[in-house]
Order: sequence, then structure tokens, then C-alpha cells
Amino acid sequence: MENKNIKLNDDIVLDHDLLKGPRHLSFDEKRILATRVMKKHGVGGVTLHWVNAISWFLLIFTGTALLSASYLQFAPAWYINMMDGIFGTRGAMLHFHIAVGVFWVTTLLLYGIFGYKNYLLDFVKHDLTIDKDDIRWFPAKAKNLAGKLNHYEMPPQGTYNAGQKAYAVVVAFSTLTLMITGPIMAFHIGSTTIIQWSMMLHFVATMSVFAGVFVHVYMAALFPEERPAFFSMITGKVNELYAYLHHYKWWTEIKNEEHAFFAEELKKDGIDLPALHDCKNIANHQVNSKVYDMNGDEL
Amino acid sequence: MSKYAMVIDMDRCIACHACEVACRSHYDVPVPYYRNWVHDLRPEGVYPDIKKVSYVGLCNHCDDAPCVKACPTGATYKRKDGVVVVDKDLCIGCGLCIEACPYGARYIDPVKEKVDKCDFCIDRVEQGVEPACVATCIASARIFGDIDDPNSKVSQLIANGAQPNVSSKVNVGPNIYYLDSHNHFPVVQAAFPPKVPNMPTPQKMWTKVLRPLFWLAIGGSFLGQLAAFSTQLFKGESDIKE
Ligand code: HEM
Ligand code: SF4
Ligand code: SF4
Repeated sequence: MENKNIKLNDDIVLDHDLLKGPRHLSFDEKRILATRVMKKHGVGGVTLHWVNAISWFLLIFTGTALLSASYLQFAPAWYINMMDGIFGTRGAMLHFHIAVGVFWVTTLLLYGIFGYKNYLLDFVKHDLTIDKDDIRWFPAKAKNLAGKLNHYEMPPQGTYNAGQKAYAVVVAFSTLTLMITGPIMAFHIGSTTIIQWSMMLHFVATMSVFAGVFVHVYMAALFPEERPAFFSMITGKVNELYAYLHHYKWWTEIKNEEHAFFAEELKKDGIDLPALHDCKNIANHQVNSKVYDMNGDEL
Repeated sequence: MSKYAMVIDMDRCIACHACEVACRSHYDVPVPYYRNWVHDLRPEGVYPDIKKVSYVGLCNHCDDAPCVKACPTGATYKRKDGVVVVDKDLCIGCGLCIEACPYGARYIDPVKEKVDKCDFCIDRVEQGVEPACVATCIASARIFGDIDDPNSKVSQLIANGAQPNVSSKVNVGPNIYYLDSHNHFPVVQAAFPPKVPNMPTPQKMWTKVLRPLFWLAIGGSFLGQLAAFSTQLFKGESDIKE
């Protein structure tokens, strides 16, 4: 930003009390929050999510059909026959499964190695660590689904709510297990005992993720309340009303970061911005009437 | 349709191991493994009344083959002509078939890291040539043929009393028959009884505990979400902005 002529616009009705705890919003506040957006996922995260999700579906579709010995078999026989028909031979299906698996592991390793600092560490430390609010969230969510508790009474949540965190933790452990057991089976590494245990762990890891995926997909793609989250996995952005209601702790964090960013920018121009809690409004930050988010991206 | 089988004539076998060597060289079988073996038992009895017995063995191409059932990928399967073969493309070297085989007929090839065993030299048989061990045997102690054909030599020998190596505990329909008139076969059976197919611990855990658990979990979560979605469709969606 070359032009440091930053001004806080003051026609905003959002007062800083919003930062003190989730509360019932007035119609105006809702309207304003609903029209503003915040960045939730970066391009890296969105790409990884979809590459990962597509790989998982391909791997589950072929993997469950490869598991055909009756004492191990998971999928019904008609499904296995259908997949055999699609691929022609078992060998072709196994090679496809291994090829997708190798591609998937490579993608994750690249993400883990090159994105270690910027993405992975941040995701694990910031997004996945569990706190007291997360533990209180589970019973509260049950009541909320039963219609006995509204959003304002729910324990405030961070970037991800406790349910999402729990699923992400299951996915993370399963992913590690699969990244190790897959190659052991595909490339016959180690003794037969190692391969036999790998096989069992491979199934367990897969099925743990599989068991949660219906909830995950329903909540993300079909459940109306979470619809902004679905679009955030495409555009990277969510509206602030959703963030305020569902991810209150994350919302305040972003507000504080934004404020700190602008305080610093204004300081360079010799303007002292009062501390956030002393500001009259939680305002949009405008530069020459353009609105920027905390990353300096134009909204 | 033919169904292949082999008869070992113990009366004729002189335990020269030529069949074992022929097989080893034909298929590059590394020591200490065998696709086909002659195990010499210690001589029994007191001179001049001595019994020297050898166990001539190979895959029994069992009718109810435990190895076929154990194989998770379908790499091991039984052909229509009765020959049990391994599709090397599909084998992951897990060794579950080895645990299941009552006759110790399988091994993991240390170089290819895949399982290997006797396939009745099916490539040769399909070209009209006898299996390598049969062609090599100087005493004609191995007779290979089709037991679906009642006039074949094997069918006749079986009718004359050749018996498979089965026990009261394990009978999986083996297709190697032993002809013996000197009471040598019971000695072999006592020394090498077919063993009960074994399933390793992780597979037992999966089959007995984990698989039913995951069926419940996956079925439950699918039905739960289906119910939630149906209710949502039925009720109509409420506005997020309230
Ligand atoms: C059609 C399928 C899928 C859809 C529509 C979908 C949608 C989403 C959305 C919208 C988010 C963001 C949630 C938020 O920002 O609040 C998300 C996060 C995530 N997704 Fe998916 N997803 C799908 C498949 C999968 C699969 C197959 C996996 C795993 C193997 C997966 C693993 C994750 C993980 C670990 C996260 C991070 C946070 C969390 O656990 O919710 N997703 N997904
Ligand atoms: S002898 Fe062993 S390897 Fe051969 S068919 Fe029977 S169980 Fe399978
Ligand atoms: S080692 Fe190969 S043939 Fe034997 S059970 Fe495993 S995959 Fe099947």
C-alpha cells in the first residue's frame, strides 16, 4: 500500500462490546457482519483439501473392492463385482490404487516439507490444539441440535469447532498410519508379520476416517448453517456473521490482528490509534475508500 | 474339463532327489525353500529289518484350498482345471496363505518378495509336456494326469488304493495321492500330518472385533446423516440470518 492515508470509517454500528463475548446481535449488526468477509483458508489449504479429498474417495472406492477375501471383506459382493467390471482386472485396480496412493503420499510430503512453517505447524498448533471450551462444546452441541441451546450460549470456538478438530485429529493420525502401512504392503517391505499387522492397521485407519466422512460431508456441504464453511473451502473466505456466531474466538483474534496491523501502519504516519477496546467502533479499515483485510488483501 | 492330480508311487521312489533338483533349477528356487521336495526321514528299525522312508511332497492343489480363502487380494486362486496358482501381479507378500497351507507348500521368494509354490508346471502342461519333476523321475514314481478321465493312469492308480495325506482333523481335498504297499505312507503321515490352517492375530482381531465395530460405526453415521438430511428436506431450511 503506497498511500498511507488510512481512515477509520465511523458510520459503523459495531461497538467493541462485541469483543467481550458472544451476544445477541441487533438486526443492523447482523446486516453489517453478513456483508463483510474474512479470509479463512489460503490457496495452499484449499488445494490440499481437495486433492486430499479426491484422493481419499478414489482410494476408498478401489480399496474396499480390493479387500475381497470373505473373512476380511468389507464391501458387499455386488460392489466388488461392479468395481472388477469397471477395471477389467484386479491387477489394474491394485495398480490404480497404488498409483493414487503414491501421488497422495507425495502431495502430503511436499506439503509437510515445504509448507512445514507456513501451513503445517500453524494448522497443528493454532487450529488443532484442544482447550476447555472444546470439551464443553460436545454436550452443548448435542443440546443445540436438539434445539435447546442457541448459538450465543454455545462455548466460543476457534478456527475450527471441537467436532471439526476431533475429526481432523482422527484424519491426521490415520493419514500418518496409511502413509506408512500403504508402502509396506505395496512394496513388500519387512517380514510377513509386519505386512500382516500393516494390513490390519491400514483397514482400521481407513475405516476411522470413513466412519466420520458422512458427518463431515453432511455438515460441510448440506447442513444450511454451515454452508458458509463450504464456500470457504472454495473461495477461502467466510462472512463475518458466520464467523461471529460459529467461530467467535477466531473472529476476535482476527479483529485484534487487524487492529494491530492498522495501528502499526498509522504509526508510520504519526497517527496514534487507540487500543482496540478503547475504540468506539470495530470498524472497517479503509484506504482511499478501498477496504482491506489484515493481510493487506483488498476485500 | 480336466482336473489335474498326481500320484506318487512310494514303492518306486528311490529318494534320489532328482525331481527336487529339476524343480529348483527350472524355477530358480532359492535354498532353503522348495516348490517340490523329498524329505528323507531317519531310518527306522534294527538291521536287517530297516525301513527308510522319504516324503515326496508338493502343493496338493487342494479342492477346498485354505490358501485361496486366506489370500486377501485374490492373488491365489484355483483354476478351472484344479491347479492352484498365484497371480504375481496381485501378490503383496503378506504370507497369510503360508500360515493357512496345511502342507508347507509355500514360501516368500526373497528376491521378488512375493509368494511362490508349485503350479504343476502349468505352462509346460498347456504345451503338452509333463511337469519337470515327472519328466525327470528316473523311476517313474511320479504319475501326472487328469482324474476327470476315468481311463487315465492317475484315475486307475487311485482306484487301486492311492491315498491323499489327510487326517481326521484336516481334510481340504488334496490332489496328491500316495501309492504304497510297504506301510511307508503311515510313517510319512505321522511325521508330516497336515496342519490346521492358522490365522495370524491381526487378521483375527479384524475379523472378530474390528470389522463388526466399523460396520456399526459406518452404518450408524451414514444412517444418522441420512436421517438428518431427510428431516432437513422435510422441514425446509431456516434462514441462517434468523
Ligand atoms: C465431498 C467431500 C468433502 C467436502 C464437501 C468437504 C468440505 C470441507 C469443508 C467445507 C471444510 C472446511 C470447514 C471449515 O472451514 O469450517 C473441510 C475441512 C476439512 N476436511 Fe473436508 N470435505 C470433504 C471431504 C473430505 C475428506 C474425504 C477428508 C479426509 C480424508 C476431509 C478432511 C478435512 C479436514 C481434516 C478438514 C479440516 C477441519 C475439519 O476437520 O473439519 N474432507 N472440509
Ligand atoms: S497344498 Fe497348500 S498351497 Fe497347495 S493348494 Fe493346498 S493349501 Fe494351497
Ligand atoms: S502372500 Fe501373496 S498369495 Fe499369499 S496371501 Fe498374501 S497376497 Fe495372497
